[in-house]
Amino acid sequence: MLYARIVGTATSTVKHVSLAGWKLLVAQPLAADHKSSEGDPVLVVDQLGAGVGSLVMITGDCQGNRELLGDNSTPVCWSVLGLEDERPR
Amino acid sequence: MRIAKVIGSVLLNRSHASLARAQFKLAIPLSLDELRDPSDPQGDSIVVYDELHAGVGNLIAVSEGCEAAQPFYPDLKPVDAYNAAILDRIDIDNSI
Repeated sequence: MLYARIVGTATSTVKHVSLAGWKLLVAQPLAADHKSSEGDPVLVVDQLGAGVGSLVMITGDCQGNRELLGDNSTPVCWSVLGLEDERPR
Repeated sequence: MRIAKVIGSVLLNRSHASLARAQFKLAIPLSLDELRDPSDPQGDSIVVYDELHAGVGNLIAVSEGCEAAQPFYPDLKPVDAYNAAILDRIDIDNSI
């Protein structure tokens, strides 16, 4: 699992059938200081209602994502597993 | 699934039997800064198995690793980068 920040949204009409109806977000994995980026941004499938700017935990467990989407032939790698509560400023 | 920009296509002369009639595209995965301005990507290019007929310049979602061979379940194909979606629009929040 990775700690990431949602930096944007993505839309697609021509896609794999298992992605139909799922919200696609652009997540940027964060380094240990929780601020600087680490690696390339990834597309995540979301059902928990994460918005742009929110801090999330994403999982790359392919078996879990297949069960989440209910499709044994889905190419989805990442999905949102948890939303971090807002820290009091 | 990383986001990559298609820069060309790859034609195979001889290949594994299971890859007959397959289409391959050459794509460069984008970093966050390159995603804000994808005009000149600098990363290493990867060859992506493409069934959606992406064109040059399209931004695509590249599934890598074991998930890339999953769409051919239960058949087995030696594929480790698969074009899962052609992205119509990407909105990046520049304030983050």
